[in-house]
Amino acid sequence: MQSQNVVELADRLSRRRALGTGLAVLAFLAIQVVARPVFRADGYGASGPRAYLWAVNAAALLLLLLPIGGYVWGPRVRALVNDDVSRHNARAGAAAGFWVAMAIALGVYALPASRGLSAREAAYLVVTPTVGVALLAFVWLESRAHRDG
Amino acid sequence: MGDQLANRLREERARRHLTQAQLAELVGVSRKTINTVENGVFVPSTVLALRLARALGTTVEALFQLR
Repeated sequence: MQSQNVVELADRLSRRRALGTGLAVLAFLAIQVVARPVFRADGYGASGPRAYLWAVNAAALLLLLLPIGGYVWGPRVRALVNDDVSRHNARAGAAAGFWVAMAIALGVYALPASRGLSAREAAYLVVTPTVGVALLAFVWLESRAHRDG
Repeated sequence: MGDQLANRLREERARRHLTQAQLAELVGVSRKTINTVENGVFVPSTVLALRLARALGTTVEALFQLR
């Protein structure tokens, strides 16, 4: 593959990754609003398959912050897709998620209303917005990086 | 240490009639990297600054200035 094509392919893959990640995160957050996999009065959600699906989904989304894009296209494309800017954006997204996680975890610890929460429910409360913020920050930074200006 | 990094990358690239993708190819980085450096969004590493200067046939000082 010619160098010019490699650069253009990496550019396309990087844009596609940002779009795909954004859509995946929005779908993940929308599912939490619609299906509420953990908080269900009958207790089904807290221990049933939906709760495990939520965990698998959250873990899979977090993997998108790792430099794993473009693997099937060979080392050159992979290096360009996961370049310094992408790694910097992923770190910035992870940092934003960290602060959200700390704020929610401290809130859960301090607020009297959270005393009745199970460990799973508390984890859900921390992880869901953390994943959302970290990945949406990554997507926004990637989109800004691609924008001609 | 409130200095900001200004650059003349876009002007130097245009002077040589290169697209962002062509310069990216010369330097061995992604087009996104060139774009973010030009826009001042991303501060390049020393190695990248030297490679950009070499690809454009100029010096790092001519490409980047503190303001």
